[in-house]
Formats: sequence, structure tokens, C-alpha cells
Amino acid sequence: MNYGFIIDNRKCIGCHACTVACKSEHEVPIGVNRTWVKYIEKGEFPDTRRLFSVMRCNHCADAPCVEICPVTALYTREDGIVDFDDRRCIACKACTQACPYDALYMHPDTGTAAKCNYCTHRVDIGLEPACVVVCPEHAIISGDMDNPETEISKLLARETVSVRKPEKGTEPKLFYIDGDAVSLRPSEADPNTDYMWSSQSSGVGKFAKFAEERKQLNSDKTVPKKLHQIEPREKKSAKRVYDAPGKGVLWGWEVSAYILTKAIGAGAFLVPAVAGYFTEVSKTAVQIGALVSLFFLAVTGVLLIMDLGRPDRFLNVLFRPQWKSWLTRGAYIITGYGGLLTLWLGASYFGFDAVAKMVEPVTVILALLAAVYTAFLFAQAKGRDFWQSPMLGVHMLIHSVMAGAAALLAVSVFFKDVAAIAGVLLSVLAVSIAVHLITLAIELTTTHTTEDSHAVAKMILKGRFAKTFWVGMVLVGNVVPLILSLFMGATAVVPVTAVLVLVGLYAAQHIWVKAPQTISLS
Amino acid sequence: MSKHHPSLIERIAEKIGLIEDLHSYEADELPRITEPGDLTNYPPPEKWDDWTEYEATSGHKRELRNYTIVPTTCFNCEAGCGLLSYIDKKTMKVRKFEGNPYHPGSRGRNCAKGPATINQINDVDRILYPMKRKGARGSGEWERVTWDQVLDDIAGRIRKALTEKRNNEVAYHVGRPGHEGFMDRILQGWGVDGHNSHTNICSAGARFGYAIWQGLDRPSPDHGNARLILLISSHLESGHYFNPHAQRIIEGMMKGAKLAVMDTRLSNTASMADYWMPTQPGSEAAVLLAMAKVILDEGMYNREFLMNWVNWQDSLGKMNPSAEVTFDNFIDEMKKAYAEYTPEFAEAESGVSKEMIVEVARLAGRAGTRLSTHNWRSAGAGNLGGWAVARCLHFLNVLTGSVGTEGGTSPSAWNKFKPKGFSTPPAQKFWNELHFPMEYPLAHYEMSFLLPHFLKEGRGKLDVYFTRVFNPVWTYPDGFTWIESLSDESKVGLHAALTPTWNETAFFADYVLPMGLASERHDLTSYETHSGMWISFRQPVLREAARKMGRETEYTYETNPGEVWEEDEFWFELSWRIDPDGSLGIRKHFESPYRPGEKITIDEYYRFIFENTKGLPEKAAEEGMTPLDYMRKYGAFEVEASVYNKHMDALSAAELEGTEVDEATGEVKKNGKVVGVMVDGVARHGFNSPSKKQEFWSETTVEWGWPEYAIPTYVKSHIHPETMTGDEIVLVPTFRLPTLIHTRSGNAKWLAEISNRNPLWMHTSDAERWGIKTGDLVRINTDIGYFVNYAWVTEGMKPGVVACSHHIGRWRRSQDPGGNRWAANQVKIEQVEDGKWMMRVTQGIGAYKSDDPDTSRIFWSDGGVHQNITFPVHPDPISGMHCWHQKVVVEKAHPGDRHGDTFVDTEKSFAIYKEWLAMTRPAPGPNGLRRPLWLGRPLKPAEELFYVNKD
Repeated sequence: MNYGFIIDNRKCIGCHACTVACKSEHEVPIGVNRTWVKYIEKGEFPDTRRLFSVMRCNHCADAPCVEICPVTALYTREDGIVDFDDRRCIACKACTQACPYDALYMHPDTGTAAKCNYCTHRVDIGLEPACVVVCPEHAIISGDMDNPETEISKLLARETVSVRKPEKGTEPKLFYIDGDAVSLRPSEADPNTDYMWSSQSSGVGKFAKFAEERKQLNSDKTVPKKLHQIEPREKKSAKRVYDAPGKGVLWGWEVSAYILTKAIGAGAFLVPAVAGYFTEVSKTAVQIGALVSLFFLAVTGVLLIMDLGRPDRFLNVLFRPQWKSWLTRGAYIITGYGGLLTLWLGASYFGFDAVAKMVEPVTVILALLAAVYTAFLFAQAKGRDFWQSPMLGVHMLIHSVMAGAAALLAVSVFFKDVAAIAGVLLSVLAVSIAVHLITLAIELTTTHTTEDSHAVAKMILKGRFAKTFWVGMVLVGNVVPLILSLFMGATAVVPVTAVLVLVGLYAAQHIWVKAPQTISLS
Repeated sequence: MSKHHPSLIERIAEKIGLIEDLHSYEADELPRITEPGDLTNYPPPEKWDDWTEYEATSGHKRELRNYTIVPTTCFNCEAGCGLLSYIDKKTMKVRKFEGNPYHPGSRGRNCAKGPATINQINDVDRILYPMKRKGARGSGEWERVTWDQVLDDIAGRIRKALTEKRNNEVAYHVGRPGHEGFMDRILQGWGVDGHNSHTNICSAGARFGYAIWQGLDRPSPDHGNARLILLISSHLESGHYFNPHAQRIIEGMMKGAKLAVMDTRLSNTASMADYWMPTQPGSEAAVLLAMAKVILDEGMYNREFLMNWVNWQDSLGKMNPSAEVTFDNFIDEMKKAYAEYTPEFAEAESGVSKEMIVEVARLAGRAGTRLSTHNWRSAGAGNLGGWAVARCLHFLNVLTGSVGTEGGTSPSAWNKFKPKGFSTPPAQKFWNELHFPMEYPLAHYEMSFLLPHFLKEGRGKLDVYFTRVFNPVWTYPDGFTWIESLSDESKVGLHAALTPTWNETAFFADYVLPMGLASERHDLTSYETHSGMWISFRQPVLREAARKMGRETEYTYETNPGEVWEEDEFWFELSWRIDPDGSLGIRKHFESPYRPGEKITIDEYYRFIFENTKGLPEKAAEEGMTPLDYMRKYGAFEVEASVYNKHMDALSAAELEGTEVDEATGEVKKNGKVVGVMVDGVARHGFNSPSKKQEFWSETTVEWGWPEYAIPTYVKSHIHPETMTGDEIVLVPTFRLPTLIHTRSGNAKWLAEISNRNPLWMHTSDAERWGIKTGDLVRINTDIGYFVNYAWVTEGMKPGVVACSHHIGRWRRSQDPGGNRWAANQVKIEQVEDGKWMMRVTQGIGAYKSDDPDTSRIFWSDGGVHQNITFPVHPDPISGMHCWHQKVVVEKAHPGDRHGDTFVDTEKSFAIYKEWLAMTRPAPGPNGLRRPLWLGRPLKPAEELFYVNKD
């Protein structure tokens, strides 16, 4: 059995009955939707058309939300429906990044993710989904695609159909008859906050809690900070004239900060430990590095839990593991790394050198994994083209080296053992910055082949993130520290250099996490 | 349901309590109603009394809910689609509404407004108890009263008026109609000519256009079987009857029909069309006549239909008395009459290319008897002479012989059921000139939107004024004049607002009486949604559920939320109390047909109708039920599956008795009245016109002073480009959205979240000319004031015309109850000078805390602008239709202007009323008639009242 949907655009009149029937069936909160209808206008008068597209979960055969979900809250049923169990959900929001179709939202009360589940509670007793039943035009067709006798199978056999974003390889099982590319490709017409008969002036879903702060005159059109404004892109031939409200940037500063603290957590140990294989590094220096690492790993843990919509369920990541998810793998890597590092530190401090020697290579490997695993997690976030870059792992590693060296340089003021290797650290820093700048240039100029990632690159280089990028990240975080480390030597400016690098790295994480999330997925 | 198999690590963690144990709980598994893999749309009716399903919101916990399923009828738009209410037997609350698969019109499917009914039921701002005003009228202070107090007070007042022969001071004004024939019984039972409606801000234009052809004033297109569907409407998103029509339009298209839509703006319907004809507003009739000319010139007309069913001999005789009476001469005469309506002329008038006009005309000609057409509001409601649009549209049906055919367009009455009451009170002996004034003898119908001007002029007063789901302050033009009238107790003695929800008119009432929504009231509806005929039973579902569980109730408010009641019972009670001892002769019309002398119950009222509905007792008997129980269970009944060519029906032997045939005209007469017409040698029913045929030449128009409109003609609108001066431009203010219906769909959060603003649509070229961009504030100046709104620049608008959607821009003042906080801005209303009114938004829509967590998630703040209040009245001198389109001047907002500002000078609006009034050609007509006897009129008084001298 294999359930799918057809949206027959020859018949869909854009009436929103499906939207409301779904709201009624599932009591979906104001602001978020399991299904909705997007309107696009194209053409010039009088050759103008308004196109309607029913948007929802595509119940992909190869669903990225299922792959990224760390706790199997999202899973594919035997009958092909992608369902979810919100009792397991920790609200990490990874699914919202993984889904290329913008199908998931965060429930403002429970904090957990939700989406169309094909009305499994109805299907299991033999009833069609609520949207199918209400549709005045029978433009939504549900059914078993394995059975050649069903209406959906016959239509699929006979009609030309299209799907959204086939290039994502997700194998969507929601097919459009007469689907127009202008409607199905989000980049063809940009989202907005004001449409032909609707508007949005405060956040929804995760950000619905800020709505009450917006009680003010409607002459004030400013959009609250929590609601992201979509980057306007080049003039389009088509215009989005109705859409569901924007759900905002769901991975916020906590995620950017966690990447930085985790980079320090990996690098502060990694840099002196590895340097020790090539040059003179005192045991104490490595131990201080390990301490710094442990501290930042703890901060990382706090940030990770803070970012969860359901922090009370954070243990689910470890105890309801979904092993393909890099969130699960990452949790185990960080836990393992933290544990081994503690063991190494204890052994090394208390003189169990044999144990320390045995543990050290594994710890170094785990540190490396901790440094780069987020790149794999981001790669699992298939919705975000920009994160699919093969350079992301390299970046994470370089960032870790930069962060580790910088963090140690910052504390070198307090520890003479660290100060003793300041020269080494500065060299490491200088080299890593140089490599970083080269990879950055490659990253932003050559590797982004898709329209969305190209748009992000443009946003970073010339758009709304340009200031943060050029001033914060490149100048403050890379160029100035590079000059300082090359020409000023181990002097009083070392801590300044270190702090600048860390500031630049935060700017980098901020841009890399946020910018791709401003691209419309639907 | 696929079971989740926990990993070892999860099982251990659950067992030792590190994480919640999700696997020890076993949900009960429900049986399937279909084979695995098969899905159906509704639970089978045999399970409706005891239906168990999983609660969707319980997710994987799979909690069970046990329901009783009770059908009712939607109460949002007029279509009357079927609903099923799912009543949780434990809580006795409605969980949700789905469609009713046994409803022949809607067939189990609904638009967004159907399922949103649950929002209205549960809305935190709804009125739960009868309220009486405390301070001055309109001061916003209210106190709760009992139904007894309400009934005694109002009944006493009406009794006094009736005994003092002030019958014309009692009036009932209906916004949302839909309880077939019920009010006629009440008002005629009281002997008052007190029916007022919303018709002439809605459909009076189209009604007159259809009526003048055939005496039947509404079209009933058979879209599902058509070859060409020609709409001057947007029935894929709105209108009578949106959902049922939209289903059949698309069905027709899937079977190969082409769709042509005339609309100035790109409606969703126009967007779905094969031919979008973006006409200059008011030019539609010119385009239609050009199409008629193509059909005539190219010989595509239906000779047989025209010969048999058009009054061509009479028409030819009048058009050219010297011509020999032959059919070909009639055709030639028509060709001559329309010679000037060339495609080039139509293109010049409308802006639609002549090629497209010719192409659609040929499609219409080729469609032949399968041409379905529709006009209801749209152009018919926008323009001076808008009635000519429907008349010219119907001309195409006449020419192609597609009147009453399969795939054609029937008169509505053929598809609309008229219930039989248990007794019929006599026609009233009063003619209320506040409703049917002498100036408008042909109006369809009551001049309802002129009421405040009539009161202002001193033409009369109202002692008891009921408004029923009616919101003229907001929906009507010139709302400030309404506010002035309603605030004046010397003009309106007592105003009782019967409404499920607070609205702008109820703010100016003395009593606000909460009446039930779709699932909280009894009504009977029947509409011409397609070629069949059906009835649908609206019922208070909680009362019915309680009854099924063995708890009978006397009054519906016992089971409804709070003390929300329903009108049917209210009217019975009120009538009884007006005449408690029967001395006024009123009481007898409200006595049970089953228990002589006793007060009728609501069940008895409907029982009688259902027992006397053709075929229903038999159908019910098949299921072993009484007719009433059948309707309680299924909610709807198909009286006839399809009705075509009823004009062809032969008179029965009984009908023929005592008739004679006029050999010259073929008219079959009985006692001097035409009851049929001879066609093909058979006496047939024909149509409802004086000649029983389609009247190309209308002698009525001539007799009543409008000879220039004797045949279908193009009337230049009040907003014709020739009448425009300076920077004036046309505003189309009537367009509707698929999600809303006037103010009826208020209090529905899921609808408000989809539609919550109404910016001014303008074409890119106009915006550039004015230096305006999307989102800029603009001031739109009407003849009596202005409103300030945001601009919406689009390629979906005809250049040179602007448009603003109806529905949005609701308001409440700071002293008013919450009302409808999803959609109502808080405003300040000030009379800055005598008659000069200023309204300004003081607080936009925003989130707030309530029992419904969704109110704290309101993400919109715009709320739109109330445009109608800035429009003067434009009564068409013939149809009486308010001509909605406005001449406006659009400019950038002035410094200090704010979004939502409206300003009106009611003295100017009164002057414009006078200007339009001067355009009329008042009664009496022939024989001293106030109105042609053959034309329809709601609540027809006794015939002698039609004559002025016998008043």
C-alpha cells in the first residue's frame, strides 16, 4: 500500500476550503497551517492569470524530515504516509530545515513540530483525509498508488503530473496536474508580509508568543524583530499575491552560538594536543586546553537544550535515538568526546600517563568529529541549498582550529604554560585564517550552483548580510587578526586578536545559520 | 496503524524511568468501515447515531470520541449547503462540521465557510443572552434581560400599533433570508405590509432584467451540462450559489465546456476562464448585444424556439407596424435594431477585443441549447441600468433557445421548492410606502436602502423595527445616514436586532436578541443550485441530539449555548402574545394543525410541511420513518432530480376547464386572466410573463413610462466614461472573496486569518501615473466623502478602473462590546459638524488574552477599511437597484491621513438621493396601478391595494 495525493489544478479554484477543513479536523492554531493555498499572479494585463497551489507535506518516499529527526518522532508508515508522534518530539526544528517544502511548523502551545499526516486517524478507519472530503471540486485526490484500480492510480497513469523540487531527490508523493513552475518553484515569486487580502505583522508558530506585544495602531507598519523579513530579490515576472504567514527563522542565535562554543570545545583541546605531535607543548598547556574545551562543551550542551522547544525531553535524543540523524550522532559524539576528554584530563592530571596516551588519539578523533559533524547535520537539512556545500565540513574544521587557538590565546594572559606556546598558537591562527579566507573565497564564488544558494551568497556578499560579513567576519574576524598575528607577535595585543577572531567567528555562524533560512521554501 | 517498535536502549530508558514510557499504553483499535486501502468520504448513515472515531488532536494516543451525527444547513452565504455536525455525546458540544453527502445541492462538499461554522459557535465574542440598552441609543451600555421581558414588551407595543391601525409602523427587515415562506405567515398573520429585504442592494438589477422577459426573476443555469458557460459573475469564488455552482461549472468544463467571464478585475473565476473579458464597468450590455448581433447575422439563432416561445408577432407589430407579420421580418427587424452594436462598437465601449467578442459569440451560437449563463450582482448591481445586463444576457439564451433546456438556463422557480403551509393567512390590507413608494413602481423589490432618507423626509415612521441578520450601517451605502436615523427615537420607536453576532447595526438597537447560527435554529431552505429541486432542513442540532437521547425540550434556547434562541419559536411566541385571547384574529394562524386551539410547536410546523412535500412521505416510509424524522436524520431531500422545459408542460384537464383560447395571440384565458398559451396545438403553461412567452418587446416598460427600453437595450451607466470629469475614475467596490460573505461570516477566526485587509486594487499604469506603489496610503474621494486605504498594484486590474473588496473594514467603538475582534478595528466616530462624520481607527486588530488561546496569536493588524459608508445612495429609477459603482478621485493620502479614515457629509448624501429620485417616472401606471399586477412582489397585499384610488 502506498498513499499519495494528486492536486488537480484543472479544477482547483483556490477557495481555501481545504485549509479550513484541516484546521477544523486538527484544531490547528491560528498562524500555522498543515495545508494552505498559495496564489501567484503572472502575465501582463489582459493576459494575466492567478495560479493556485495547494501546499502541504509531500509524504516523500525518501523523506528528509524522517532522516534528520533524532528521535523517530517523524517516520514513514508501512502505507507510505509520513506520520509523526509528537510525544517523542524534542522540538529541535531540524525537520523544518530538512523539509524542502516548508511543510512543518512549530505548535505554539506544545512547542513540538507538526504537519499534514494524511489524517491517519481517519485513514485507519477507512475515511478520506478531511481536505479531500471538503473540496468542492474534488481537486484533491487521495488513495493507494499501488492499486491500479484506484482513482489516483488511473489519473497518474493518464495525466501529465509534476512535483515540487524533484531535484531534491525526495521522491514526493504529492503530484500536481497542470502544476505551473511559477507556482511550484518558490524562487519565482518572493514572499511578502502584505498580500491582496491578508497581511502579517507579527510572528506565528514558534513566535506566536510575541503577537500580544503588537497591540498598536495599524498605521505603524513595522515588522517586529522576531519576524524575519524576506530578502527582496531581483524583479520577478510573477508575483506572490497570497500565502500563509511566514514562520520566521527557526534556528536562531542559540544555534549560531552553539556552533561557536562547540568549535572552541573541539579546538581548544585539538590545537595543543595535535601541536604536541609536531612541536614542544607542555602537558599543562594541553590540560588547560582540555579544561577550556570541557567548559565550552558544557556551554554547548546548555545552548543545545535551550534551543529545544521541549527542553524537558532532551534525553530523548540519547534514549530514543534515530541513528541516521546527525543530531543523534552529534549528541553521542559530544557526549563521547566530553567523557573521554574528562577521562584524559583526569588520567593526565593524576599521572596515569599510559591511560592518557591510550585515550588521547581516540579523543582527538572525537574532537575532530565534534568539530565537523554539524556540517553533516546541515547537509541533512535538505531544505537549505546553501548548507549542501561540500566546503561546509572544511569550514567547520578550520573554524574549530581558529576558535581553539583564539580561545587559548585569550586565556594565555592567565596561564604561563599557554603563554609559552603563544607563538605556536599565533602561527596556527595565522595559517588557519589564511586557509579560511581562501576557502571562503571558493565557497562564495564558485560552489553554489543552485538558485537558492546563489541567492544566499549574493545576500552575504551584497545584500542584507554584507555589513556583518565584510566588517564583522572578514575585516574584524580575519584580516585584522591576520595582520596582528603576523606583525605584532606575542605582545599585549594577543588577547585582542583572540577576541576579534571569536567575534568574527560568531558573525560567521550568525550569517551561515540565518541567511539560508530567509529563503522561501514554498 | 503501524506500531512503533522501540529500540533496546529506549525500552531500558523507559523502564528505568529516564524518559516517559510511551509503550505501555495501548489505544483501542477501531474497526474499518472500508476494505484496507479503500477510503470513503463519510460514515454510513446507519452509524450516525453512534459513531466513534479517533480524536485527531490526541495524536498517537488515539483517544476515542463517540459522536451522534446530526445534519443541518450552513448559515453563512445564501446557498444553504448541507452540514453534518459531530456532537460529542460526553460533552454535548459540537466538535466539528463536515458536509452532508445527502444534500443534493452541495453533495457533501463545502467551501471554507462551512467548516468555519464551528468558529462562530465557539467565538468568545458571541452574544449569549438577550440584551437591552441602558443608556441612550447607541451609547454602548447594555443589560441582560429575560426572553419573557423581551416578548411582553415588544408584543405589547405591536398590539398597540395594530389596534390603532398603525400597521405600517411595524416592519421586519431581513439581511440573510432563508426560511422559506415563514415570515409571510408571521407578517400576514399580523396583517402588516412589513417585509423589507436586502434585495435592492444585491440583486434587484438582475431580477428586473430577468423578470421583464419572463416574469421569473432569477436564473438557474445548468452549468454541469453546458457547452459554453458565460458568467457575468465570479461563481468560482462567490455569489449565489458559490459552492454548488462552482462544483457544476468545473464539472461542465471537465466535460469540455468553455468558460467565458466578464469581470473588470481578474477574479479567481476569470483566472480559471478560457476567455477573460475585462469589460469597462457598465459596458457589459453593449458586449452582449454585439454577441447577439453576431448570432443573428450569422444565422446561429434557434428558429424553432424563437417562433414558438418569443412574442415575436407582437414585437414585430410594435417595432414596425407596417411590416408583414412573418418570422423572417421579425429577424430582419431585430437585425436592424442591433445594427449599431458592431463588435467594433462593443470593443470601443468595453475595451474587450472585438475578436474575442466574436469568438465567444460564435461559441454561444454553437453551444445552442447548451448555453448556461448567470448574472446576479456584479455588473447588474453596479450600474445605472444594470438590469439591462441581465436582460441582454438572457437575450442570448433566448436567441440560442437555451431557456429551460439541459445545459441551458432555467427560470429559478422551476428549481426552487415552495413549501405548503398548514393554513395561509389572508393577504394584508396595507401597502407600506416606506417599502414600495410611488416613485419606484417596477422596483425589485423594497427600496430598502432609501429607508433612512424616507424617514428623514418625514414619509413615515417606524414604531417597531426588527432587523434580522441585517447590518445596513455597515453593508449598505451611506451608513452614517443610517446611524442618524437609527439614533432618532422619533423615527424608529423600537429597534430589535435579531442576530447571532454583534454588528455595527446592533450597536444602535434597543434590544439585541441572540439568534442561533447554522446549528442552533430551525429553517427550511431550497435554492436553484442546479437542474434539480431540493429542500434542506436547518435544525438546532443539540436539541435534536438531546431528543435522540430521550430528552425533549420545549424551547431551543434550552439546549443552545447561553440563551441563544431561534426566530421561528420567537415569532410563534411573539404572535401568540400579541393576540393572547384571539380577539385580533392573529392567534388562529399560530394554532396547531394537529391540536386545535393550542399553540403550534416548531415540530408541528415542520411536520406539516414535510408531510405535504411531494415524494417525501414515500421516501421516509421506505426507511420506516415519518417525514419529519427522515429530515431530522438526513437533513435534506431531493424533490426532483432534474427539471427541464417546464414551459412546455400542458395544462391539465382541471386547469383547462372554463378556459378559452384567443385565436390571435394563442393565449389561453380563464376569467379574463391568461393561464397558458397554445404552442404546437397544445395549451401549455409557458412562462410567467403577461404573454406567457419570452417578451422581446415588453409592453410593460412602455406602459410604465420607459418606451425607450421596450426591447433589450444598452443603458449607459452613471459611470460611463462620457460622464467622467477631471481625474474621476471608476471604483468597483463590490468584489467578493471566496472566504467571506458580507458581515455574516464574521466571528470566524479561520476565515479572518486568511482574509483580513482590503487594499485598493489598481493597474500598474495607473499607479505609475499617480506615483503610487503597493503599500502606499491613498485617499479615495467619493461624492460624499472619502476613505483612506493602502494601494495594491496589480496586472489583474483593468487600467483606468480601481477596485476594493467588500467584507473587510469592520469596526466597533470603544464603548461597544468586543463584537468581532478578529476583524473589527476599534474606531472613534465624531460628528465634527452637523452631518459631517469622521471615523478614525484608534486601535487596529491585535492579539489579546481570552478563553481561546488563538486570540493571543492574531498575527494581522490591518483590518481593512469601511468603504461602503462613504458611498451615496444610487437608486436605479427602474429596478430600484442601488448602483454600487462609484466615481472617485484617487490621490496620495494627505498629511495626517491614517489608514482606515473615513469622512462623510450626510447632507451631500441627501442631495444625491434627491438627484436620483428626480430620475424616476412615478406611478400610477395604467388603471391607477401602483405596480404591474403580474410582476413579483414579496408579501403581496390584497389586489385592491395595488390601485392607488382604492388605497
